[in-house]
Amino acid sequence: MTFIFESGYTFWNPLIWIIVFLVVAIMVYFFRRSGQKGYKKDTDQARIFLSGEEVPEAGERHIRVGNIYWGFFETLKEYYKQMLRIHTGIVNDYMLWFVAVTVVSAIILVVAGLVR
Amino acid sequence: MASLLAQAPILIIAIPLVAAFLTPLIGMRGDKARKALVVGSLAFTAFLVFALARDISITGIRVYTLGATAPGLTEPTGFMFPVRIILEVDGMSIFFGIIWAIVSLAAAIYSFSHIASETGQIRFFTLLLLMVAGGFGMMLTGDLFNLFVFLEIASIAGGALIGFRNRFGDTQEGAFKYIVVSAVAGLMVLLGTGILYAQYNSLNMAFLAQAIQYTTLDKIALALFLIAFAMKTGMVPLHLWFPDAYSVAPASITGMLVITSHACMYAAFRVCFTLYGGVIDGLVVGWIIIILGLLTMFVGVTMAVYQKDVMRFMSYHAISQLGYMWVGVGVGLAVLGTPALLAYGRDAMTGGIFHILNHAMYKPLLFFTGGALFYYTGTRDLAKMGGLAHKMKWTTVLYIIGTLSISGIPPLNGFSSKILIYESVFRFNPILTIVGIIVSILTLASFTKAFHSAFMGAELPEYKGGKEVPKSMIIGMVILAAGIVLITLFPSLIVSWALHPAADALIDHGAYINAVMGAVP
Amino acid sequence: MDYMPLNFPFLAAALLIGIAFFIIIFKRNLIKLIMGIAMMASGVNLFLVALGYRVGGNAPIYTNVPPGPMVLPVPQALTLTSIVISVAVLALMLTMVIRIYRHTGSLDSEKSRRMKG
Repeated sequence: MTFIFESGYTFWNPLIWIIVFLVVAIMVYFFRRSGQKGYKKDTDQARIFLSGEEVPEAGERHIRVGNIYWGFFETLKEYYKQMLRIHTGIVNDYMLWFVAVTVVSAIILVVAGLVR
Repeated sequence: MASLLAQAPILIIAIPLVAAFLTPLIGMRGDKARKALVVGSLAFTAFLVFALARDISITGIRVYTLGATAPGLTEPTGFMFPVRIILEVDGMSIFFGIIWAIVSLAAAIYSFSHIASETGQIRFFTLLLLMVAGGFGMMLTGDLFNLFVFLEIASIAGGALIGFRNRFGDTQEGAFKYIVVSAVAGLMVLLGTGILYAQYNSLNMAFLAQAIQYTTLDKIALALFLIAFAMKTGMVPLHLWFPDAYSVAPASITGMLVITSHACMYAAFRVCFTLYGGVIDGLVVGWIIIILGLLTMFVGVTMAVYQKDVMRFMSYHAISQLGYMWVGVGVGLAVLGTPALLAYGRDAMTGGIFHILNHAMYKPLLFFTGGALFYYTGTRDLAKMGGLAHKMKWTTVLYIIGTLSISGIPPLNGFSSKILIYESVFRFNPILTIVGIIVSILTLASFTKAFHSAFMGAELPEYKGGKEVPKSMIIGMVILAAGIVLITLFPSLIVSWALHPAADALIDHGAYINAVMGAVP
Repeated sequence: MDYMPLNFPFLAAALLIGIAFFIIIFKRNLIKLIMGIAMMASGVNLFLVALGYRVGGNAPIYTNVPPGPMVLPVPQALTLTSIVISVAVLALMLTMVIRIYRHTGSLDSEKSRRMKG
C-alpha cells in the first residue's frame, strides 16, 4: 500500500487521519446547520453580548501580539535577556562568532585526531 | 529526446543562465513576453530535472564532462586523473534539484504580482534567474571550485534581490549583512579548496575523495568547509544574519533563499559524506553537528516565540527547523561505518532528508503568506494586524495548511518526517528526541499566536476596504500547498523513490568515486 | 632547494587573512569592513597563486616557450575567477553602503542595527 509508511518502529497511515477529519468535519457541519436561522438582522439579536457591559470597538477588543504568552516570557525573563544581549545586530559580531566557532571546531577535530 | 536527456545536466544550469540575460532583451517587448520567458524557461528546466531524475533512478549516477567528446569521458586520453570540469548528478543532487525547480517556479509566479508596483522588474527577474542557475550549479557540480563559483553567483544574485526594494533602509542593511556573511563564507570555502588542492593537485571531488588522507591540514579544511556552509545555512550561533536578511527581502525571494540555504546544507553533507567519506572521524564531526543542531532547534524556536515581525518570526522558525535536519543527518554521520548505521542511522538520515523536502514545501509557503499579509496591510508588524481572515480567505486556508505542517500535526507531512527522526534518533540518544518534541510544541504555540494576532478577531476598521491578494500570488502558494498534500498522501512512495536513493547516495561514497574514476584497481 | 624559501608566500597569505579578520571583527566603519574583505580576498588569491609555483616549471604561455616542463595553469585560472568574483561582491557591497549612508546618515555598523533581537 502506498499510503502506509512503515520503517523500523514507525507506522504511519495518513488515510486513517483523513477519514477521522472528514467525519469530524461532517459532524461540525451538522451542528452548524441545526442553528437558529430565524433571527432578525441589524437588531440587538445580532450584536455581541458581554454580560451587559459596553462592547469595545473592533480595534480595542483584539488581543494584540504583545500580550499573548505574557506568563511564558515573564518566567523566562533571564533567558531572553541573555539571548537579546547576544543578538546585537552588529555585523562585526556575526563575524566574531564565525571565527570563534571555526577555530573551536578545528581544534576539536585536530585534538580528536591526536587522541585516537 | 535522448540527446536532450544526455545533455540535461548542463542544460539545467544553462537554460536559466541564458534566460537571465535574455530577460532584458525580451522584456523590452512588454510584460507578457517577459513573464512567458521566465515561466517558460523555469518550467522547461523543471521538466528536464524530472526527466533526469527518472533517468538516474534507472541507470544510476550520471556524469557529464564539459568539453569532452562524449559526456561520460571523464579522463582525457593520456591522463590518469580528471582535468576537465565534471558535473556529477546522483540521488542526493537530483533530490535537491527537484526541490529547487518546484520552489523557484512557484516563487517566480508569485513574484509577478508581489512586486508589480516596483520599478526595475526586468532586473528583478534577471537576478532571479541567475540565482536559479547558481543554485542548480551548486547542486549538480562535481568540482570543488565550481561549487564556490556557483555559491558566489547565488549569493550575489540573492544579496542584490534582498536589497531590491531599496527605498526602505532596513532592506539595505539586511542585504549588506547577507553579502558580508556570504563573501566571508565563500572565501573560507575557497581557502579550504586551496588547502586540498595543495595536497592532492586536483579539484574534482571524486578524485579528492579517493586520494584524501585526513592529515591535520585536511582537518582544518574540513572545519572551514563545514562551518562556512553551516553559517550560510543559518546554524546557531552563526544564525544572527539570517532573520535580518530574510525578513526584509521580497517574500518570493525569501522563499527561494530558504532553498539556497538548503543547497549550502547539501554542500556541507557532500563534503562530510562524499569528500571525506572514507576517512572522516564520524563520531566527532557527527557530535559537533548534533550539538550545534540541538542549539539551532532550541534557540531558533525560543527566539521565534518572542518576535513581533511576521517575516522575522518565520525566519527564526526556518532556523529552528534546519536544526531537525542537522540532527537527523548528524546522527547518520556519527554512526557511519558501524552496524548501527543499518539499525537506525539510515532511518535518521532519511528522516533528516525527508524534513528538508517538507521544509522546502511549507516554509516558502509560509513566507509567501507572510508576504501576502505585507502586500495587504503594508506592514510586517503583527501588532498592527488583526481580523484579516475576513478578507483573505485563500491566504488564511494556506497559512493553516503551512502551520499544521510545520508544527507536525497529523496527518500533514511535517508529522511523518518528524516521527521518522524521533523514532530513529531516540535509539542514538533519547535527549535528542526530547528536545525535538519540546521544540515542536513551541513551534505550534508560536504559530497559534501569530495566527491569532493576524487572522483572528473582528475586522479592523483600517483593513475594511482591501481585497484578497492577486491571483498569481495565490497560484504560487497553491503550487506549494499541492506539494504538501501530495507528500502527505503518499509518504511511502516519496520515501522509496526519492529519500532512500538520496540517503544511500550519501552513505555510498564509493559509487560517487567510481562514476568518475572508473572501477578502483 | 626544492621549494620556496621559508614558505614565505604562505606566511604572507596567512598574515593577510589574519589582518583581514582583525579588521572585519573590530573595525566598526562599514567602508573599513569592506576593505577588510578585499584584503581577505587578496590573501586567499595570494595563497592560490603561491600553490601554482613549481621550481623549474615554465609559465604555460605557448609563444616563445623555453625548453622544460610547463606548470598546470589551474591555480592561476582559479585566482583569475576569484578576482572577478570578489570585484563583483565588493561593488555590490559598496552600492549597499551608499544606500545605507543615505538612509541612516552614518557609516558606523553600530548605527546600522535597525534589526536586532
